Amino acid sequence: MNESLLSVRDLSVTFGPRGRRVSAVDGVSFDVGAGETLGLVGESGCGKTTTGRALMRIVEPTAGTVTLEGVDLTAASGRALREQRTAMQMIFQDPISSLNPRRRARDIVAEPLDCWKRATGEERRRIVEELLAQVGIDPVAYGDRYARQFSGGQCQRISIARALAMRPKLLICDEVVSALDVSVQAQILNLLEDLKAEYGLTLLFIAHDLAVVKNISDRVAVMYLGRLCEIGPADTLYDAPAHPYTKFLLGAALEADPEAPRRSEVLEGEPPSPLNPPSGCRFRTRCPFATERCATETPELREVAPGHQVACHFPLTLARPEGAPA
Amino acid sequence: MSDETLLRVREVTTAFDTPQGRLTAVDGVSFDLAAHESLGVVGESGSGKTVLSRTIMGLQPRRGVAVTGSVRLNGAEVVGASEGAKRELWGRQVAMVFQDPMTSLNPVVKVGKQIDEVLRVRLGMNRAAARARAIELLEMVGIPAADSRYGAYPHSLSGGMRQRVVIAIALAGSPQLLLADEPTTGLDVTIQAQILNLLDEVQGRLGMSMILVTHDLGVVATRTSRLVVMYAGRVVETGTTRDVFARHRMPYTRALLESSPKVSNPSHTRLAAIPGRPPNLLDLPTGCAFAPRCAYATDRCRTERPVLEPADEPGHLFACFNPLPVRVGSPS
Repeated sequence: MNESLLSVRDLSVTFGPRGRRVSAVDGVSFDVGAGETLGLVGESGCGKTTTGRALMRIVEPTAGTVTLEGVDLTAASGRALREQRTAMQMIFQDPISSLNPRRRARDIVAEPLDCWKRATGEERRRIVEELLAQVGIDPVAYGDRYARQFSGGQCQRISIARALAMRPKLLICDEVVSALDVSVQAQILNLLEDLKAEYGLTLLFIAHDLAVVKNISDRVAVMYLGRLCEIGPADTLYDAPAHPYTKFLLGAALEADPEAPRRSEVLEGEPPSPLNPPSGCRFRTRCPFATERCATETPELREVAPGHQVACHFPLTLARPEGAPA
Repeated sequence: MSDETLLRVREVTTAFDTPQGRLTAVDGVSFDLAAHESLGVVGESGSGKTVLSRTIMGLQPRRGVAVTGSVRLNGAEVVGASEGAKRELWGRQVAMVFQDPMTSLNPVVKVGKQIDEVLRVRLGMNRAAARARAIELLEMVGIPAADSRYGAYPHSLSGGMRQRVVIAIALAGSPQLLLADEPTTGLDVTIQAQILNLLDEVQGRLGMSMILVTHDLGVVATRTSRLVVMYAGRVVETGTTRDVFARHRMPYTRALLESSPKVSNPSHTRLAAIPGRPPNLLDLPTGCAFAPRCAYATDRCRTERPVLEPADEPGHLFACFNPLPVRVGSPS
């Protein structure tokens, strides 16, 4: 990993009044190196979206720090926060509802420039046309069309152009391809890879689709019920998952190959309610390897291989201690 | 393919009248489905896969739609059948599982009652027998504490549990054909695996035929024996699942396979994206609908529409003037 651009420490987010408090994100820590793509995967309700939003302070973190290039975002406020935030931009899941249907493509892309008075007149026009061309929207033919006249894939391209207008360092992509058809999804993934190289971007790629995440990420972090289970290099984590949850999650992924072996081990049940999460390890209620210790002691992230960390008392890659279940 | 044909679909065309003109959502689709067979229908949005499954079911709006061709289920014609005749088929011969379990259940009726309804109206069971059978069905679809869940409202169940209830309702009349339209879209991967295993298991146990409609090639790869690939309302390739994956001839089939990311790829694998986007059904090109996005398209493809032609393997058909050569020794 290069020098870290984004540093997240013990990030927690809770929602709701006392007594009905939902801990959506609980003590999450990770780093994202400059120029790398970190994939954040997990099932619905695991807190991956809330984590992304808390980084931007779209939702307020309850505890923890978020440091971007050495500046603590959780301590900033007002104009200082807004200015800091221009270095990170977010792209959302639903491309159609994230654009105002009654505005023209070129005005949507120009909006961040106007807000920050970064460019006017001829320069503004040039930047906008360059950005649109770069995301594959012909600025001459389509620049004056309204957002409502574009398809989902095209709207996502415009959202990307808008996010790039501020020349951000970090791009947070929250399920950006999950609403798109496969053929269009591949276009957007390739586009993100190209733009990342061209602009020297760092990506936090949040998604539930394991194949998509592996394809785009250098490293992958897996979340379950608000906590980080495992984080490591994409290829290692997929080949040799250390956390039992990661193993089950990968086992459930469907491969488009009729010759692929049908995996029999399916994770039973459903995640418990985050209103009343299990003590100790939050996965223990569904984990076939859980012991007494998992209920009483919360496993901390620890390194099992260089750059590969896991929060489990009995990681799958290590020899099991005497007396532990197989 | 096994002995008897349960479903025979011939030249089915479904067209809607819209303010912008006539939209042909399904265009001349034909296939057979044998008893106990599972067929996958694959396509992107707008390919006509959902309209096709609704046409097979006989579910259409009363006005503004024209269906031609023939759908015979156990010899009984569905196209043009009266509402009463279709009601005889629904539940007992054919049942459907829809994509969104949130909206396919009635939010203000207890889930047990929603299963009861089928049993009492369709099968004429009395209240007590229907209740007992409903609980049995809830158990069969893997709902824990079925006895107490009988009285639960849909909102208190998770998405996966709701889809199990929808499956229980579909199974209540012991249908011979189950149509599952994107049954796991919107569910988490681990829940998706549970639901697909459940469908597999009940299909085997009850000896049903199944049509699995999906956009996800991963869903059909190991769960169906035959595939129909649709594009812009037409079947562009069909064959055994293995042949379609390994020996496809239609460039669209390959493009679809190669544009989906795979868990087994190393990270940063460049995806073979298909340029452009699926066509507008109101303004289809004259020739092959895929021609504007196809790397192999010639002038003929742009003027003349290819029809399904047999490939080397039995039952494998494709619609293309410039078919791909069969790749030697490559499994996928």
